[in-house]
Amino acid sequence: MIYDRLRWNLLWRRSWPVGSVDFRNVSKRYDNGFEALKQISVSIREGSMTFLTGHSGAGKSTFLRLLLRLEHADRGAIAVNGVDVTRLPERALPAYRRNLGAVFQDHHLLANRTVYENVALPLRVGGMREKDAARRVRAALSRVGLLEKELQFPRALSTGEQQRVGIARAVVNRPKILLADEPTGNLDPELSRDIMTLFQQFRQVGTTVIVASHDRELINSLGFRIIELSQGQLLRDIPGVADG
Amino acid sequence: MAKEKVSTHPWPSPPRARFAWFRDHARVASESFGYLSARLATSLLVWLLIGIALALPAGLFLLQTNLSSLTGDWQGRPGVSVYFERGVAKTHVDAVIAKAEAQASVQQVWHITPEDALEEFQEFSGLAESLDLLAANPLPSSLKVTLANSADVVDLQDVARILGAQKGVDEVVIEKTWLERLAALSSLVNRLGVVLGAMFALGAVLVTATSVRLAIEARLDELRVQKLVGASNAFLRRPFLYFGLLYGLGGGLIALMLLSAVLLLLEKPLATLLGSYGSTLNVVGFDFTFLAGLMLLGGVLGLFGAVLASQQRLGTVEVV
Repeated sequence: MIYDRLRWNLLWRRSWPVGSVDFRNVSKRYDNGFEALKQISVSIREGSMTFLTGHSGAGKSTFLRLLLRLEHADRGAIAVNGVDVTRLPERALPAYRRNLGAVFQDHHLLANRTVYENVALPLRVGGMREKDAARRVRAALSRVGLLEKELQFPRALSTGEQQRVGIARAVVNRPKILLADEPTGNLDPELSRDIMTLFQQFRQVGTTVIVASHDRELINSLGFRIIELSQGQLLRDIPGVADG
Repeated sequence: MAKEKVSTHPWPSPPRARFAWFRDHARVASESFGYLSARLATSLLVWLLIGIALALPAGLFLLQTNLSSLTGDWQGRPGVSVYFERGVAKTHVDAVIAKAEAQASVQQVWHITPEDALEEFQEFSGLAESLDLLAANPLPSSLKVTLANSADVVDLQDVARILGAQKGVDEVVIEKTWLERLAALSSLVNRLGVVLGAMFALGAVLVTATSVRLAIEARLDELRVQKLVGASNAFLRRPFLYFGLLYGLGGGLIALMLLSAVLLLLEKPLATLLGSYGSTLNVVGFDFTFLAGLMLLGGVLGLFGAVLASQQRLGTVEVV
């Protein structure tokens, strides 16, 4: 216990590399025979912001699901910080996922929980003290501009607000990697841009951000790296200009 | 790409906050209680089902315990009844008493005078007025002789033979047939209790498992999200184990209430029945140990049902 605490503090203070991602010849075929990814090899460095784009069925969501270990790769390796996560045992997955943040198009908020409780969920799962958790939740809600709505239920919020609650929940645990699957799918252009601005803010504090989106116009305007997939294959890899 | 690390995890695990496990249990216990209270009608139904399932075998256990007590403490020992000729001289009676007490296998000898016998008969037969019409007491003097627990059938027959040969003795009756029946009944109740206990325990487990399974289905969305944000299987299972435990404990409580009600209802007729055998009602076994044991049994069965349901269902819950 003491050793773990010491190790954690030392590593954290040494600016532990937050989250590099390496897909090496990754293939994924679903049970119905659909081949979602074919021999994909991509490297994403820590602290960067990357967009995955392509038409429906191109493999964007599968890419993120494989990274979250919601799906198993049939072939290849997915290295996160140099560790092949395709070989992580089941019992190691909860701890692995606690270091990732995930945002989805349909938010996956719990309707019977308040905004505060929804955002606090990852901290509860991690066993954080209520007092510390409250501080974190309020900081996250403040970041997404919803602090005053912490006691409301999701159904009382607009779609854009619900998405921001989803983002607050994804970042409240200070994830090493933030994954977003079509986070602006239901939003108008102005709200979409707000959401992307939020993601950029998280990248600036060192989080690796990977966003799957088919909104080419929006992602082209941001100037970050774009990986374009088509029918499960890498079509284009356009380096970003805003990524430093 | 950088050289692969030997580590099995991309990031070092942060230490869990101190007392996090206890805190989480306290929170989950409180939430589970709140969940069951908020659905009181459903919870009451489950508690009743489990309570009835527990009450029957527990009732049989009580019955068996009391039958054992009845046959063991009072009538369980083998004995003989010695009936004297009517108008027998007291010296003959005393001689037979002395003879009986002299036998090694005899434990105790009671003398029942004709007056005592008549009084007892009047009290329990309901024929008091009819007996008053008789000119003289028709009942003979008698002895009730009990043998030590270690005595066997041969001892019993020897004592009966010796006492039967004494002067003034009219008849010696070996009192074992109805005792054997009572012992056989006790044994039957015992076995019935075991069989019914097993069946109803299974019923209680299945009721809890079904209820917990329904609770899991109702919270599937929440479980999926929890799994996504890194909840372990133990974390996901915990609230449902508390449901099972609370269902079981509640069921145990209901069973206790049902048994108390049954005992209250049966108190009078039982007292009358036992009185007819010359005994008083003294329910054995319905004590704190029994009450605590029944509650504990309910809790364990509920927990077991919850483990079954959660193992079976949570293993197949897919993340969003």
